[in-house]
Parts: sequence; structure tokens; C-alpha cells
Amino acid sequence: MKDPVPSVSAAQRLSLSRSPGHWTGRFTAMACPCEILIEAAQETLAARILETAAECAWRIEKKFSRYRRESVVQRINESAGQPIEVDDETANLLDFAATLTRLSERRFDITTGVLRKAWTFDGSDRVPSQDQLDALLKCVGWHKVLWRRPTLVLQPGMQIDFGGIGKEYAVDEAARLVEDLAPGLSCLINFGGDVAVRNPRRDGAPWRVGVEAADNAGAAVRLVHLQRGALATSGDSRRFVLREGRRYSHILDARTGWPVSDAPRSVTVAADTCTQAGTLTTLATLHGAKAEAFLKKSGAQYWLH
Amino acid sequence: MSDKENLNAALAAATCALLGATNTAPVQASEADRWSFDTALLYYGESDDRVKDTSAAISATRDFSDERKLGLTLTADTLTGASASGAIAQDGPQTFTSPSGRAVYSTAAGEVPLDDTFKDTRFALNASWTQPLARLYTVSAGLGFSTEYDYTHIGANLLLARDFNKRNTTLSAGVSWSQDGIDPVGGAPLPLSQMLDVGNGANKAGSESKDVLDLLVGLTQVLDRTTILRLNYSFSDSSGYLNDPYKILSVVDPLTGDTIVRVPASGLQGPTGVYRFESRPDARAKHSLYAEVKHAFGAPVLTTAYRFMSDDWGIDSHTAEVKLRWPIGAASYIEPQLRYYAQTEADFYRVSLANGEPLPQYASADFRLGNFDAVTAGLKFGRSTSSGSEWSARLEYYQQSGDAPRDQIIGNQARRELYPDLKAVIAQFSYRFRL
Repeated sequence: MKDPVPSVSAAQRLSLSRSPGHWTGRFTAMACPCEILIEAAQETLAARILETAAECAWRIEKKFSRYRRESVVQRINESAGQPIEVDDETANLLDFAATLTRLSERRFDITTGVLRKAWTFDGSDRVPSQDQLDALLKCVGWHKVLWRRPTLVLQPGMQIDFGGIGKEYAVDEAARLVEDLAPGLSCLINFGGDVAVRNPRRDGAPWRVGVEAADNAGAAVRLVHLQRGALATSGDSRRFVLREGRRYSHILDARTGWPVSDAPRSVTVAADTCTQAGTLTTLATLHGAKAEAFLKKSGAQYWLH
Repeated sequence: MSDKENLNAALAAATCALLGATNTAPVQASEADRWSFDTALLYYGESDDRVKDTSAAISATRDFSDERKLGLTLTADTLTGASASGAIAQDGPQTFTSPSGRAVYSTAAGEVPLDDTFKDTRFALNASWTQPLARLYTVSAGLGFSTEYDYTHIGANLLLARDFNKRNTTLSAGVSWSQDGIDPVGGAPLPLSQMLDVGNGANKAGSESKDVLDLLVGLTQVLDRTTILRLNYSFSDSSGYLNDPYKILSVVDPLTGDTIVRVPASGLQGPTGVYRFESRPDARAKHSLYAEVKHAFGAPVLTTAYRFMSDDWGIDSHTAEVKLRWPIGAASYIEPQLRYYAQTEADFYRVSLANGEPLPQYASADFRLGNFDAVTAGLKFGRSTSSGSEWSARLEYYQQSGDAPRDQIIGNQARRELYPDLKAVIAQFSYRFRL
């Protein structure tokens, strides 16, 4: 959901292989490598689990990617002020996003996407002018949107995207579908580093999840043992702006139109669901230098780099 | 209801609305216990076939939960080559009894005498344990042991640190103690006794020992987002046998400055001049002050450091160091560094002893106690790999030049080399990985 997908045919490849003690399934969705680990099971079941998870990821990508023609998001973004009626799933995501905006005291907002016209996060020191930002900020703010479930009216020029929610939601959805298919079986769903496990493994061993933290000063990879629950990681090791010695993350503060500065380069949170974990990483990052204080207060288990 | 409960309750409710009622059980995650390893190979080589040292070290650190940490380090090194004995160059060749007392070695005319019987292998093992102690306190304790042919060392240390000021300030205090046993090849010579013929051990005693107590207080202060200041004061008190049992002084004619000629007893091999073993005080107190500023200019990091050391032997030293760590791409960096060192000589530093004059209580011609300065220039390159390992290579060039105190130079000594320059190359390769 972050970047355009190169081609559909390349993305729709599945691979399933036997690893010691489990199956490993791989595919690409939402511009990232996805991986399904399945504890000992029949090969046919493992293959069906992999297919189910991949189809779920591709469906959500197709439906909510702002880059996909005919996605719900494109339809909304091209509505030019006209009311749009959305289905239940989209409505649930919009409600969830509205709650995040409220919980984050308007730091988070799904309408900040238009600001990306001004910001390029390539490690350079290029920043847009304040005039440019002020003009774009006129099209930012959930409070400017008319949302009466199931009808949404954006102001002309406004856009939404589900970055920061969509991938984590897809992980939880896939975990739910896999659970329906094989109740009680332990499967690890990993979409580009966002991870969920519904059931502990029968052998009692935890899934070992490597948490990446590529950083100039010496890469560190943490290893987290996950019995059940979810992990989400947000990081800006490659996407950032450096200006006057300060590092600005690619996450934009909807109140100012500026990227968050001095946030930890990488935040990993463990929570019951991937959506909760992902939300906490996003909200923490939006608190910049106070990210850790925010996470402490939340009581969640976290790792910073 | 607290903020935390508000946030979590609101988030849980919103998630439930989005995902539907799920029967997910509470998360169970923990960071895995793990080992990380640092390995290093170091080569130190002095020019003109003087000292060469090759060492290999491996240190393993295991991180436990709650910031507890175990560290183990094993080091092995071998030392070969020749080091200056302290005797001065002569117009003719010179012969010395080797430290073992069982053979002789010679030095050609005009050359600074080097004792080439120098050869040693050392093994060292250190263990440390670090853990938080109440909130804001960290305690770390260590034990060390090393052994080599003529030397054993045991040591223990304890360091306590406390964070203040939202962890922007750290104060630390430490103490370490060590006891070294010295069992010189051929026995420890009586201070200022004369070098004797091969087979005559009348002036050699058995083993000796020394104790060292170090106290340290330190302050680390985050000055702003990009600058860290570190200040350390340390006091070191050594007592016991502080001589180098292999260092000697030439006894010279008070007018010509030439070494007094001596003839070995008939039928025996032995020194061809009069040489006396050095004598140092049996206590030494050192004070040192260290200041370091680290500043990040965006990604590059500049470190500047200065150390001042002063001891009651009369040695004052200054060390200034600057290094700049410059990132290249996302995974590599290059770090040029430059260090300057200068020290004054010890009060009892003597180029030679004048024949016929009363012997001083203390005297040493060890160049390391003399007046010298040294420059080290180096370059380090480091790279981290996608798997989280990191390797680095460092190359340094060291150049030292010293001089003998002018008022001690007698007669012919003025036209001879009394304090030869020293050049050395240091190469290091290190690799860090995790399991």
C-alpha cells in the first residue's frame, strides 16, 4: 500500500517449501515480501493456508491501494466533492482511521497523502517552502470531511490513503481466515515485517522473529520470540530527510504538514493484534522525541533503535 | 481512569469494531537471549626488527532480559623481537649477559644495544557482569586473569553508575585492584647491582610482586541532541616491584662518557663493560584527567579527546586525539584519526651512571621513562552487512622521537645516538557478529 506494485503477474507467485518443523510459504503483496510459516501439517492444508493468506493480501491491496485503478481509494480520491457510498469494510476502516485521528490529537490523519506532492524522502535535505505546504494543508484534515456512514464526502482536492493501517489490517484479516480454515493450528503471518500469530505451537516452541533495524551506526537485528500475538515495526532507516543535522522521518504530522523530527529510527511494538501493534508504532513515531514516553505510558511491550 | 487505560481501551474498542470480535489471547513475546561476538586480530610491528606483537581476541557478550549482561574475553598474544636494554651505544662492539644468566649477546659498534632474547606468549581471560541496580543505577563487576612466561596477573573491578536529569547525565565511580606476580627469567636482579658473568647468579633473587589500586570517577553529559561530553578522573597507586628486571644502565667514564671496559673472569663469558640493573621507587601514584567531546554533524561524528597524566615519578604526559567518522552510503564508514602524545622524563631517568660518583637511590635508562613525543596517524574502514554483522579494518602508523636530557650528556656521548626514533605499524581487523 506504500508503493506501486511493479506488475501483477510478478506479484501473484506463490512458493511453498518444507523447512525443519514447519512449512514456509512466500509471495509478494503490497510491495513487500510476505511469508507464512505453518507448523507441521499436511501439504495440501499448508498450500490452502498459503493461498488463503495471499488472496487476502492481494484482495485488500487491490481494494485499498491508492495506486490501483478502480480501487475504492481511487474512487474516493477522484470523487471531487461528490458523495460516495462505501461498503462495510471500507466504512470500518474509515471509522478506525477517524478514531486514530482523535486518539492522536490530530497528528495522524488519512488525508495527509496530498502532502507527499511536496515531500521527497530520499535522505536529501530538500524541503518544500512553507507557502507550498500551506496551500496543500488546505486539503488536509479529517474534520473537513463529511462522514455519515456509509456516505463520505471529501472536499475537492482532498485525498485519503490507508498507509499505516492497511497492511496491519491485512495481516489480522489473513490470520482470521487462516484460523477459520485450520482452527488451532499455529501459523505466523508476516507481511513485510508486520506479524501475527493466533495460536501457540503444539511443541511449545516460540516463532523466532528477526526485527530489522538498519542504521548507519551498525545494523542490529533483534530476535523476538513470539508465542502468540502480533508485532509491528515502523522505521525510517531509508526514508527520511536530513536538515541542519536533524533527521525527519517520512511520517507526516497532519497538524503542521511537516515530517516528525527526532523520532526513533525504528519502533517495534508487541500487541494482541497486528492492527493494535501497528497503530502504537505509528502513534509513537508521531510523538517524535517523546515516542518512548508515549510507549511507556501505553504499557505495551516495545523495542526502539 | 488514567491516560493509559483511556488509550488502550479506546484502541481495543476501535480494533474490535474493525476486525470483528476476535478470540485472540493476550500477546506473548519476549526478546530472545543471545550472544554477540567481537573478534579482533591485531598486529603491532616496530621498524628495524624490534618488537612485534600479534594478538587475537574474542569476546562474547550475552544479553539477558532486564539489561543484564555477561561478558567474557579471551586474548592471546605473542611478542617477539628486540627491545632497547638501556645501555648506550659505543664506538666498539659490546657484549652482555642475557637475562637468563646462561648466555651472552652482542651489539655491533655504534649501535644502540637491543636485547633480542625477548620472546613471550600471553593468555588473558576477563569476565564481567553488568546489571541495573534499582532504578537509574547500573552496577558492573569484573574479574581478570592473565599469564605469561614471567608474569601473572589477577584483577578485580567494580563500577557503579547512576543516571540523572532524565538520563542526560551519568555519574560513575569505580575501583579496581590487581596483583601481579613477576618471576623474571634468571631471577629478579638486585637494583643497581652490576651485570655479572654467565653462570654467576649472586645478584639475582627470586620472584617479586606488585599491587595496583585504581579509583575512577566519571561524568557523561549529553550537552544537546548532537553532543556528548565525557570527563574522567582516575587515580592509580602502584606499590611493590616496579622495576623492569631486564633494563640496565651503562656505567661511564665521567669525562669521556665512554662505557667503562670490563673483562670477564678467565674462562667465562660475560659483559665487556660495566652495566648496572635499574632501580625504580617501589611506589608510584598517578593522576589522570580525561575529557572527550563527541559531536554529530548530521551523519558524520567528530570525536576530540585530551588526557593529562601526572605522576610522582616526575612524568607528565599529554595526549590529544581527534577522529572523524564519516559514513559512506548506508552501511559503511571511514574514520581517519590522529593522535599526539608527549611526555616529560622521570626524575630518575639517567642516560648513564658516572663511574666513581656515589650511586643514586633510583636510576633508569628505560626510554619509556624518558622525554619523548609521538604521533599516530590512522585510518579505519568499517562496514555492516545486511545480516547484522560488522567488520572493520584499521591501519595506523606510529612515530616516536625522544631525546636525552642535555645536561646529562657526557663527552663522546654527544656524537652518538642516545635516543633512537621508533616507528611502528599497527594493523587491526575486527569482525562482530551475533548468534
